[in-house]
Amino acid sequence: MSSFNLFDAEEKSLEQAEDLRRRLEQAPEPVRDGIATLIEAYSRSVREQRRLVRVSDRLQAQLASVNQELGKRKAEAEDALETLKAAQESLVQAEKLASLGALVGGVAHEINTPVGIALSCASHLADSTASMRKLFEADDISVEDFERFMDTVKDTTGLILTNVERAAELIRSFKQVAVDRTSSERRRFDLATYIRETLASLGPHLRQAGHTVLLACPEGIVMDSYPGALSQVLGNFIMNSLVHGYDSGQTGTLSITVERDGAESVRLTYGDDGKGIPDEHLGRIFDPFFTTRRGSGGSGLGLHIVYNLVTGPLAGSVAAESPAGRGTVFTILMPLSP
Amino acid sequence: MDNLTIAATERSPAVDFDFAAGRLSLKGESYPEDASAVFGPIFSALEAFLGSAKGRDVAFDFDLTYFNSSSAKALMNMFQMLDQAAEAGCRITVNWAYAPDDDTMKEFGEDFAEDLNHVAFNLVSVE
Repeated sequence: MSSFNLFDAEEKSLEQAEDLRRRLEQAPEPVRDGIATLIEAYSRSVREQRRLVRVSDRLQAQLASVNQELGKRKAEAEDALETLKAAQESLVQAEKLASLGALVGGVAHEINTPVGIALSCASHLADSTASMRKLFEADDISVEDFERFMDTVKDTTGLILTNVERAAELIRSFKQVAVDRTSSERRRFDLATYIRETLASLGPHLRQAGHTVLLACPEGIVMDSYPGALSQVLGNFIMNSLVHGYDSGQTGTLSITVERDGAESVRLTYGDDGKGIPDEHLGRIFDPFFTTRRGSGGSGLGLHIVYNLVTGPLAGSVAAESPAGRGTVFTILMPLSP
Repeated sequence: MDNLTIAATERSPAVDFDFAAGRLSLKGESYPEDASAVFGPIFSALEAFLGSAKGRDVAFDFDLTYFNSSSAKALMNMFQMLDQAAEAGCRITVNWAYAPDDDTMKEFGEDFAEDLNHVAFNLVSVE
């Protein structure tokens, strides 16, 4: 058996037609001409059919390879997107760590003062005690000496106590904020207290710039949420105001206002009275890598992180406004217990 | 008779029929949704021209990079029309252009030439 032939039937028909033509040699001329024309037309039609099948096969083959290429490109694009997302995620993490670093710097600065005072008091007390011991061993203590020493002891121990207590208190609140920042754990916390702790940790930055912070938060609002996320959000708002809102030397007022919004959620409004955000930027401030300060170290991730934290762990929404000449206002609406 | 010039679209070839000079060309891609809308005007102009072209020299350049099945059938009809006109005494040359790396387009040219007995058919490799 010969190889498979797609046009086997057509070829057989043609052979039969040729056969018929030979047997019709005696037929009248119009019949023979008619048969010849028909055979010629059919034969042409079969040739055309073969070509069309080839054209069609080629088109389908091209389509298939284009589809394959498309699939490959799509997979590549998806891979690239994944890589990009991972890179973005790691940049966001790096930015979070960097802000944690700034927090730690602030903590060190803040604790330095009370510890320094306590240290010099202790050192002064030690000196006075050594002098007293000498006088005591020489049996030469006057009433005056002893009274002076007692005053010194009272003053220095008093100062040591208050300053060490101050340091301990600072460490407690920083510890909570830092643990929350890094652990991203959910827990119950008092909103007003927590905002105050966060503000304390940002104290050095704020005092250095000379800004005033107004906090209006009803006492007793207890959230069961992610305090670390909230602290990071407030920190980023404040750092954003400090970096972008005011010219160097210019002081302003930052405000944080919390109101209940129904039984289940709160509205937190953060505002500054700085330069504001131009309209053309307002729609892009939450986009990753959007910054007007690329050259001077802006990562463009601060408000993007805010957006992610508010819409992610805090399960809320965040919006920005910048009414002309009235600074910038961010409004967060979030559930007490996401 | 008036020349026929139709600009190429994304899915149909550029038509440039300079009847006075006896120079006709189809260039581009051809996969129209409605083949009759594209080839109808071409065929009627060509038919009118070939009917009165006896004894003339006519060159027809095909420079197609892609065509679908309907267009292939239309091309074969066109070649049959050209071959009949050539048999009737018009001196027709067909130049079938193909890109050097486009073997299939070259093979299609060879395929189409199979049925041409009176037309001079040239395969032209064009960079």
